[in-house]
Amino acid sequence: MPTHMPHFPDLLFEPAARLRAWEGILMRLLAEAGYRELHPSLVMREPMEAEAVRFFDGADLVALRWDFTLALARLLASRFDAAPSRISYAGAVFRRPHQPWEPVERFEVGCERIQGPDEDGADADVELARLMVAMPTALGLQGGILQLGHAALLRRPMEAEGLDPERAGRVVRGLHRRAAHRVAAALDGHPAAARLLAHAEALLVEPDGSGKFEALAASPYAGLLEDELAHLRRAQAAIAPLLPPDLELRVDPADVQGIGFYTGPTLRLWAPGAQAELASGGRYDGLYPELGRPWKAAGFCLRLSRLLDLADTRPDLFGKVAP
Amino acid sequence: MSLLIALPKGRLGDDLVPRLRGTDLALDEGALKSRVLRIPTATAGVEVLLLKGADLPRYVAAGIASFGVVGSDLLDESAEDLLELADLRFGACRLSLCAVAGTTVEALRRRPHLRLATKFPKATAAWLAKEGLTAELVPLASSAELAPILGLADAIVDLVQTGGTLKAHGLEEILVLGTTSARLVASHAAWLAEAKAARPIVRTLIEALRQA
Repeated sequence: MPTHMPHFPDLLFEPAARLRAWEGILMRLLAEAGYRELHPSLVMREPMEAEAVRFFDGADLVALRWDFTLALARLLASRFDAAPSRISYAGAVFRRPHQPWEPVERFEVGCERIQGPDEDGADADVELARLMVAMPTALGLQGGILQLGHAALLRRPMEAEGLDPERAGRVVRGLHRRAAHRVAAALDGHPAAARLLAHAEALLVEPDGSGKFEALAASPYAGLLEDELAHLRRAQAAIAPLLPPDLELRVDPADVQGIGFYTGPTLRLWAPGAQAELASGGRYDGLYPELGRPWKAAGFCLRLSRLLDLADTRPDLFGKVAP
Repeated sequence: MSLLIALPKGRLGDDLVPRLRGTDLALDEGALKSRVLRIPTATAGVEVLLLKGADLPRYVAAGIASFGVVGSDLLDESAEDLLELADLRFGACRLSLCAVAGTTVEALRRRPHLRLATKFPKATAAWLAKEGLTAELVPLASSAELAPILGLADAIVDLVQTGGTLKAHGLEEILVLGTTSARLVASHAAWLAEAKAARPIVRTLIEALRQA
């Protein structure tokens, strides 16, 4: 399946069988960990995001499901008084990820861990990390990098310094590109520019051993971020022993993708030869309160379409998977 | 398998290739004189792809090339999600609004139907949005200077280095929208997977290309 966007793929025999088998393996793994499947409708209604593939059903504007997390959150917030704690899902989403003329259909498997407002999220984060680490091995994928970040490490200093959304957006885009010069340009003229730039440079230190934490400890915002840094250290210590020998953990606080959504630790899975991340997730405690529920949540999604691409282009990366 | 570095053809490439002479990444002169676009370097196992600037980000994002050098103007127009490892501080240009000599920004603002020709629609649209203006964008791939003098557009948004080409066509720069320069880019996946092995090459590229 090496074709790229625009892309509504027809899976012919082998990839279709692989998709079915992989979904089965992953959903069994999640079920064994206590996660129960929900299958939200493929059709979503208002409010819709710009990336949705929209169409009229008679007089009603509807959209194809573009995001499982949001679809599940709307479903759970409207149907349950108490949060179910462990949810899994599998299926397709339809999005326009770059340009509006490039809609894509993607297959995903994922899970969500939902908690009450007083429950500690740290254990849930480690539980999810444990599951994410297990998934590539379950599919026979050999080799990979697990990237551990924390969205609050940038978000909280920017909030503390009162950055307006436009400037904050430019800082995030600069950091996402790992471009200190872009961050400096974005901060130019702001009273806290020197402090925030020093912090950005600490976030950008190459992730070699403990150097990253030492740099962050010297950041002007180290005091403000004490809890987040402790959480990141705990997560690193908890995940490291779980890693199979060919999966490497990198702490990367400059990973700020999705900072508008995530509120805590984030995880991404990369593999050699893959053009984009194969899985991603993290803590997003802001979503359910926006929907009127005081619940905390974290989750991740494995991008099966990208794994199918990778199996096609780099079969050498996949060993034999038990039936 | 060779490690591939994507370098731009054209003006930026002409400026860049001499800077690599005498370094570990010097391009093979014989291959350069031929028409091939995959050029060996002085380091075994490291080759250069010569690409059109607008295509270069796609080769890097796809992981074909591990790194690339591209103007920030084209990088900002590209939809590819790339890391920008360094501002190489050469190939500097201004991205400017240009029109027939004597035209003012105010005169353009007052036009009921403003037409702007450009190779940089994203940057132009961003400036228009910031100014609260609307305009018809006329996308062009080259020779934008002809557009205002032949009536295809009222003005252009284009790169200006010395202003010599503008002057030769009776145009002038009436507003600078931003500045651009060459950037060293990498894909997220390649940088994560190859960072340690690639760091010496990145260092060589930055040192060579940043030289005065």
